[in-house]
Amino acid sequence: MNSAALAVDAEGVVKSFGAVRAVDGITIRVAPGEVYGVLGPNGAGKTTFLRMLFGLIRPDEGTLRVFGRSWDDDGTRVLEGVAGFVEAPRFYPYLTGRQNLVALARLDGGVRPGLIEEVLDTVDLADRADRKVDGYSYGMRQRLGVAAALLREPRLLVLDEPANGLDPAGIRDMRALVKRLADSGLTVLLSSHNMDEVEEICDNVTIMDRGAVAFHGSIADLRAMAPDPGHLLDTTDNAKTLEIAARHQVKTEADESGALHVVGPHDAVSGFVADVVAAQVRLKQFTPTQTPLEALFFMLTNTEAVAR
Amino acid sequence: MSATTAPARGTTPRVRTARAGFSATLGFELRKLRAQWRTRAVLLGALLLPIPVAFAIHAQGNPPKDSLFGRYATTNGFALALLVLGYAGQWVMPLLTAIVAGDIFASEDHHGTWKTILTRSVSRGSFFGAKTVAAMGFAILVLLILSASTIVTSVLVAGHGDLIGLSGQLIPASQAWHLVAMSWLTAIPPTLAFTGLAILLGIWSRSAAVGIAAPVVIGFVLQLVGSMGSAEALRPYLPTSAYEAWHGFLASPSFHGPFVTGLIASAVWAAITLGLSWTLLRRRDITGG
Ligand SMILES: Nc1ncnc2c1ncn2[C@@H]1O[C@H](COP(=O)(O)OP(=O)(O)OP(=O)(O)O)[C@@H](O)[C@H]1O
Ligand SMILES: [Mg+2]
Repeated sequence: MNSAALAVDAEGVVKSFGAVRAVDGITIRVAPGEVYGVLGPNGAGKTTFLRMLFGLIRPDEGTLRVFGRSWDDDGTRVLEGVAGFVEAPRFYPYLTGRQNLVALARLDGGVRPGLIEEVLDTVDLADRADRKVDGYSYGMRQRLGVAAALLREPRLLVLDEPANGLDPAGIRDMRALVKRLADSGLTVLLSSHNMDEVEEICDNVTIMDRGAVAFHGSIADLRAMAPDPGHLLDTTDNAKTLEIAARHQVKTEADESGALHVVGPHDAVSGFVADVVAAQVRLKQFTPTQTPLEALFFMLTNTEAVAR
Repeated sequence: MSATTAPARGTTPRVRTARAGFSATLGFELRKLRAQWRTRAVLLGALLLPIPVAFAIHAQGNPPKDSLFGRYATTNGFALALLVLGYAGQWVMPLLTAIVAGDIFASEDHHGTWKTILTRSVSRGSFFGAKTVAAMGFAILVLLILSASTIVTSVLVAGHGDLIGLSGQLIPASQAWHLVAMSWLTAIPPTLAFTGLAILLGIWSRSAAVGIAAPVVIGFVLQLVGSMGSAEALRPYLPTSAYEAWHGFLASPSFHGPFVTGLIASAVWAAITLGLSWTLLRRRDITGG
């Protein structure tokens, strides 16, 4: 696909802050209509990459095109059809939510009548739009950020950890909203440090680690690479359980407390557990440790599960 | 959250190509200024503060004879207005302009909103232009209000008799009106030079406190420099000296040399400070917020 047809075409992009190479030569291509995830632990360089896309900072090296346009050749025209935010969205605290949107709409060259009400409705802020942003909760600001982006009726929506700092209900609502927007045909570029979120929402993903690409491909490719799921198993007779395990395609290992770590394909683990139960051994504990994709994420980014 | 905005699947969303012109960006800045109590407080202050000041000076038993026009300030409204002008140029005018100019860029850093506005197809150049025009327009507006309020109050308090000029000449009241108003208007160029300085300091420090206080402090330092014998040659080119350019209007024969020099010096100061400001802002990494 040629560059003009791509929503985002970043190649070999580098950005350093002093001695820190925040983004260290990454290549990311997002096709129109795609929901693309940039996944990485804290400090991976996700925000730095998105800031370059928005022209807030300049890459030291590499090329970056958005719908075929570049900052060097096209200036702010790069942002035509593009909207979103980096890190927590920020507004003027002395204006109300609605006044902020009205003012920003002015910068967009005006919006069609009724759109401000529509976007406020979409993010469920209509009843609180006339309060000063100063009194908004974190989640309300996050939603106002999405509303401000939708005001531009974008083709490409860029969201930097949109669920960050939201409560569980807020996270669920935000994911649902992003999915609905994506279903409407919008191209979405989303950053996250949460594997579940990316798996739930995205088609393709780039996993970043310390500024570099650790993986890129489809969610299906990622699933295929994932290790077998792990479980923690404790029974009334762990010695006998270990004997039974030997007859199945599972790996078991006892920890200090005597409980067993069981790793193996789904079918093998369920067959094994069925045999344990059939042998009159009672289960005291049987819990998944981490999901395969989580385990893969930690492997790819060399981070520890506890570092979350 | 409901999905009213999402267009039906398969339709191509309309692409926004409209971009705000300069006037829309300026309108955006003015709307924000209007919404801040600080702006209104300065305008109200410029309107009302001359009233107690004029009354206080008028009520003094001993007129401040050491200050220019001080001798007649308690008995002549024109002299009173010129006495106030002499004081106002020392720090009040730099402060009044800096309250907006020192903050108009730094507040975007303070609120973390550079990223909010710079992700909306408006260039840094547009914002720089709009904010600069807004700050300078505000400075001129404040000066006009302060001038009008001071002159009117002074004349109401101390009368509008004939004025004794700096060379001892008698200036008839009909002419004094004109000269006093012109004198106040000469404060506009140096105030705009201070506006440029406040903009530069606000952009450089990213702090409204520095943007507002530092121009006032620098104003004092420049006055000090100007009063040192060794810096005599520099003196005419300082914006602080341009605040005194009106003295020539009230001498006989009147002279306009210091006014012209002050005008050029103020323009150069404004051009240099704004040039440096734009250099700083143009390529800055917006990483805050
Ligand atoms: N303005 C800056 N000055 C110095 N270093 C910076 C700056 N901005 C980012 N960095 C560094 O660059 C690296 C990448 O930061 P970035 O914010 O892009 O990561 P991230 O993936 O968005 O992390 P998070 O999940 O915490 O948001 C980090 O090491 C960070 O400390
Ligand atoms: Mg980040």
